[in-house]
Amino acid sequence: MTVFKTFWKVVKKYKGTIILYTTLLIIFGGLNMSANNQSTQFVDSKPDILIINHDQNHKLSNHLVKYIKKHSNLVKIKQNEEAISDALFYRDVNFIIDIPKNYSQDIMNGENPTIHIQSTGDYQASLAQMLLMRYIRVQNIYKTKTHDEEELIQKINHSMDKKATVELTSKLDISKTSNVSTYFSFASYSIMAVVIFVICLVMSSFKERKLHKRTIISSMNYKTYNRQLLLASFLYTCIVWLLFILLGMFLFQDVLFTTRGILYMLNSFVFSFCCLTIALFISTVVSNKNAVNGIVNVIALGSAFLCGAFVPAEWLPNSVLNIAHILPAYWYIHSNDLLKKVEILDFNNLKPIFINCLVMIGFSIIFIIINNIISKHKQKFN
Amino acid sequence: MFWHNFKYSFKTLIRNKTLLFWTFAFPILLGIFFHMAFSDIEKSETFDVIDIAIVENNTFHQNKFFQKTFEAFSQKGENQVFHIQYVSLKKAKDLLKKEQIIGYLQMDDEVHIVVHSSGVQETIFKYIVDEVISNQKMIEDLASNEIGQEYSKENATIDYNKIYAEITKLVYSDTESLDNVSKTNLSYTMIEYYTLIAMACLYGGVISMFVTNYKLANMNCVGKRTSISPISKIKILTGSLLASYVVQMIGLALLFIFTIFVLKVDYGEHILPIFILAITGSLAGLSLGIVVATFVKAGENTKTGILIAITMLGCFLSGMMGITMKYIIDKNIPIINKINPASMITDGFYSLYYYPTFHRFIFNVVSLVIFSILMIFLSLQGLRRQKYDSI
Repeated sequence: MTVFKTFWKVVKKYKGTIILYTTLLIIFGGLNMSANNQSTQFVDSKPDILIINHDQNHKLSNHLVKYIKKHSNLVKIKQNEEAISDALFYRDVNFIIDIPKNYSQDIMNGENPTIHIQSTGDYQASLAQMLLMRYIRVQNIYKTKTHDEEELIQKINHSMDKKATVELTSKLDISKTSNVSTYFSFASYSIMAVVIFVICLVMSSFKERKLHKRTIISSMNYKTYNRQLLLASFLYTCIVWLLFILLGMFLFQDVLFTTRGILYMLNSFVFSFCCLTIALFISTVVSNKNAVNGIVNVIALGSAFLCGAFVPAEWLPNSVLNIAHILPAYWYIHSNDLLKKVEILDFNNLKPIFINCLVMIGFSIIFIIINNIISKHKQKFN
Repeated sequence: MFWHNFKYSFKTLIRNKTLLFWTFAFPILLGIFFHMAFSDIEKSETFDVIDIAIVENNTFHQNKFFQKTFEAFSQKGENQVFHIQYVSLKKAKDLLKKEQIIGYLQMDDEVHIVVHSSGVQETIFKYIVDEVISNQKMIEDLASNEIGQEYSKENATIDYNKIYAEITKLVYSDTESLDNVSKTNLSYTMIEYYTLIAMACLYGGVISMFVTNYKLANMNCVGKRTSISPISKIKILTGSLLASYVVQMIGLALLFIFTIFVLKVDYGEHILPIFILAITGSLAGLSLGIVVATFVKAGENTKTGILIAITMLGCFLSGMMGITMKYIIDKNIPIINKINPASMITDGFYSLYYYPTFHRFIFNVVSLVIFSILMIFLSLQGLRRQKYDSI
């Protein structure tokens, strides 16, 4: 097992860089998870609203605030212009309602005071605007019929309390699974970068010209040599995969210890294996250590952006998704997206996921074959 | 000697393919990825027509109010909210299962909505139905009131249709006065491109690290030779660093040209401040490179790895891999982004784009200058008077 041991010796030599990259990318995965859940999906259909009430201590304006609070998440933000503008830009709030001074009094006097609003213009903001407009409309209709604030509030309540009954057909809580999917999709970037970077770095040490020549004339059969290298790099890939699974288990215990969780793990394992074959392929083609870093970044970031690891695939333009079909990460992320939504885990529903896995295995086989052809050619050439 | 050194450092730099890749090609490639990934993201967030179905049964046919209202909602034009299919219950269930509609409306004794999952479109659907119900109730209420009043006046000829029409008109008149004072420049994908510029500025550190390594006796033979030459170190170093700064600025200029003319990135209208920010940002990158080159005692590859890792972490925290990250950090642990040069650069561009005033921009530029001076000062402390008895 000389070669196998040497592999780990080289890994040890680069341990600083490797630990740095591995932890950094794992931290990216974990952090991204906790930060991004509000922007990637719309499970919580209550818009985030900020109310600036300049008419406090009046029944009518307080009632308006109460009504908005009931149907939305009231966000608390420092009451300064800059903090509010930042919050709107980064979608921390979707809608800002500025209730003017003397609002209640003006309404009762039959006037129609203007409410200043600020909106991000997205779905949530439309929802918030609908909420507000509905309230004002009802209020304006009834204010012509009464002059008593209490009575007006009562009438508003009365008119708005009748509602349609809602039935949900889906029994699946998407909010949980979509977090898991986001985590695993983001992991595609981290796994790919770490696996390709480290394996290429180590392999390039083995392929240094003098060293390589010594290896070729040694008594060891080249098949044994290759097998040990493969085994070592496979083991490394498994360790990286395991790290991500452990972090995932730590973050989402309730989902990962189910059948669905096992499918997520299986999917990511197949993808990690595919990354390994890509890494071996690149290490055969490129022997320059300096070039490795660049190639890794372009491939890992490229497939992450084009396949939906950073931006949900449903938001990507179709033309980009069509191009992404030629990248293994697309099939991996597609499976994650499917696993998010599938309700009943039976063969029919899971068929597309298995097909995606097969495609990834297909990619792996292609990379292995090309790798063999090129390395054979290079061997002869040398 | 200064110019001699400048000239040869410049030549060495522009012949190094790896360096050129990182400073010239990589940011442009990343910009292309951004453009591909983000071109649709904001469009998909804006309001679209919602697909629903209404179950056709007797109750629905008898309720003229509902029919007319939903007809109005589905009329083609700017204000269209729904695209409605009128179908049987079985068909509606089928459509929902195939996800061709987000939900359907069924009217029996009660108004009933069936949706597949909870989401924004589903919530809008429910709100609108609730509003129609409450409007209907309001009209009935007001009408019965009005009719009651007419009765009490002992009016024998009550015109029911007229009362109904008047009240409906009242209910549907647009009386709400809202004034939308939002800023128009809310396109947050711009942040991505700003982090890209930040990254390019900081990657300049790779160049300055490269030239600094050439002046260090423990790094390579050229370093040994320059170290024993009878020229002051500061003179050699400034010449090389100026060369690296020039190369960095050329790379940055190319990136700006590419993002402005090909990717159509909006940097606001202030050309001079942008220029200042780019210069100070690059200076921060340059100083970061010297610090890593001076204080990390390791091979060139490890140094590059560490520098790139620092840069990537900085860019990650300033929102490159998810735009909300910067805001989360700004809101919860602001100190991190106050000392993160990537964030200073990103925030500088953001403040130029979003805010009409300059105070935040100036704060960022000053922070960058302080950061650079601090880094250069530290490196000078580390670099000066290095002596080796044997190497």
